[in-house]
Amino acid sequence: MKLRTENPLLRYQLFGFTVNRWKRQPWLYGAVAVGVGLTYLLVFQLVAFNQSSFSAALNLCLFIMCLTAPLMAYNLFSLEYEKQTWESLALTRLTAKEILWGKWGAALARVGILTLLALPMLLTTANLDIYVSGSLRGKYPTVLEPTTNLYPFTAGVFVLFSWGALIVSLGMWLSFRLKRTLSTASTLYAGQVFALALLPMLYLTFSIWETGSEFISAIGSYWEGFAWWLYSLFTARAILYLNPFWTAAELQRLFLQHHSNWWLPSWEDQAYEEGLLYLNWGFAQGFTYLALALLFAGLTYRGLKYAWRK
Amino acid sequence: MLDVKGLRKEYGELVAVRDIYFQLHPGDVFGFIGPNGAGKTTTIKMLATLLEPTAGTATLNGIDIVRQPEEVLPLLGYMPDFFGLYEGITVTEYLEFFAAAYRIPKAQRAAIIENVLELTDLTVKKDAYVETLSRGMQQRLCLAKSLVHDPILLLLDEPASGLDPRARIEIKELIRELGAMGKIVLVSSHILPELADFCNKIGIIEKGELLVWGAVDEIVQQLQANRVLEIKPLGETEPLIQRLEREAHVHGVETRNGSLYVHFAGGLEEQADLLASLIHDGYRIAAFREESLDLEDVFMQITKGEVS
Repeated sequence: MKLRTENPLLRYQLFGFTVNRWKRQPWLYGAVAVGVGLTYLLVFQLVAFNQSSFSAALNLCLFIMCLTAPLMAYNLFSLEYEKQTWESLALTRLTAKEILWGKWGAALARVGILTLLALPMLLTTANLDIYVSGSLRGKYPTVLEPTTNLYPFTAGVFVLFSWGALIVSLGMWLSFRLKRTLSTASTLYAGQVFALALLPMLYLTFSIWETGSEFISAIGSYWEGFAWWLYSLFTARAILYLNPFWTAAELQRLFLQHHSNWWLPSWEDQAYEEGLLYLNWGFAQGFTYLALALLFAGLTYRGLKYAWRK
Repeated sequence: MLDVKGLRKEYGELVAVRDIYFQLHPGDVFGFIGPNGAGKTTTIKMLATLLEPTAGTATLNGIDIVRQPEEVLPLLGYMPDFFGLYEGITVTEYLEFFAAAYRIPKAQRAAIIENVLELTDLTVKKDAYVETLSRGMQQRLCLAKSLVHDPILLLLDEPASGLDPRARIEIKELIRELGAMGKIVLVSSHILPELADFCNKIGIIEKGELLVWGAVDEIVQQLQANRVLEIKPLGETEPLIQRLEREAHVHGVETRNGSLYVHFAGGLEEQADLLASLIHDGYRIAAFREESLDLEDVFMQITKGEVS
């Protein structure tokens, strides 16, 4: 069977109108690019010179992701309905998989680019260790080693990308279902405000700031961490644990250099950090976001199969 | 050949299309006529594989449109009633997109696009941005897009709606040319003079039911079994009316503007006999002619003005 690598929809979504926009109004788009570039450098300088913490940088990047990810997906399908182009697209020989990949792939690529743009800021604040002395001298640490900052850094980047992936996947599905760009955009933004700010606030208010930290301190193995995840997903605490901003704050606790009392770690703090590691904190959230992203992509695929008869 | 057998579409209680049958052959330009809401677009969408029929089937060159939609897609081109175009790209890029989406090998695309642009008279606009084209040109571009994969069946839903007179004439010429190229063209419209010029077959649909279909001439002939004769007599009309009412084939006589309109059930032979006998009886006849039926008359005679 001949493998088809050409996907005109992916090409159009990624480059089609974008390249021509540059060609048609080079000064306008050039000015916008310069403005965005300068703002990026300014923010980068602020982060670098203020010696911001990793969680501050990650929170900033997450905030930007929350603002921009909906823009990458809010009209993926709704524009096809609003512009009445969907019938022409549905009658081509592109399969449901190719159409989905054309739209979703382009949105994921944009999330990936944004994550790459965030990397310099996160790297600046991460203080990645390399072994400079002792028997491991000259070797690079690995993600699984809890004695380095590579773990929280990688987990933070993963959370950032996977949250973006979740938002674009949800946006793509909503755009397919609602068929209206404005409704999709407003649902995505309002949904994020609700899920990331209002619900956690409500939870914390009514739980008297009970966040389950004593349970986390008690986790003593990966198996217990896994069991705790399963349990917590069925409790209201999931509102906090699946929140990427909460994750950013918790990942900060795993940083060796920025530890609040790193020179004298108390037993409780150490136990809590170990609990977080056993919970695979950051990675667990990231995989949950990716699983939900796949779910929404799957729902869109099913919709294409049935509604578009592909 | 397109063979439609008992195609039916129901939405709950509502029957949008009621068991329709017709056959079309290569080169046929089929005018699908009906008032708004009669079921034209639903039928076209079922033939385009966009809607699943509740019952019945249709085959295109032996391929079942309902059961094998993937196999039939390369064979059909569809231009919807309301259509949009991808913006921000040029006419050539737009056609390249659809050529790739129809899996036309890269090496053949440029030549095919050139031919299609020439056919639709868009060569001069090949580098223009899609959104800068006039409505008529956009319509032609949409048609060009439907032609890149060289389909054998073209489904055109109200192709001339919203066009100025010049653009209408141009699109009519194009449709005629496509028929001459051996394609089966199904054109829906509720503007009858538009279809009369280039359709060799018509189907009239009302309330989801295909009331009549076939060659235009045959349908007109069938309906002219009840023809109307216009007679302009010189002198008094009353004796002539009484004389006509005694004729076996005459069902009624009306008087308008000094002319008599005779509802006549006979054929051409009987018509000639009637004229001869009137002259023989001494009536002075200044004009004697049969009122010819056009598509509008056919439509009005067949339909009742109901929607489904």
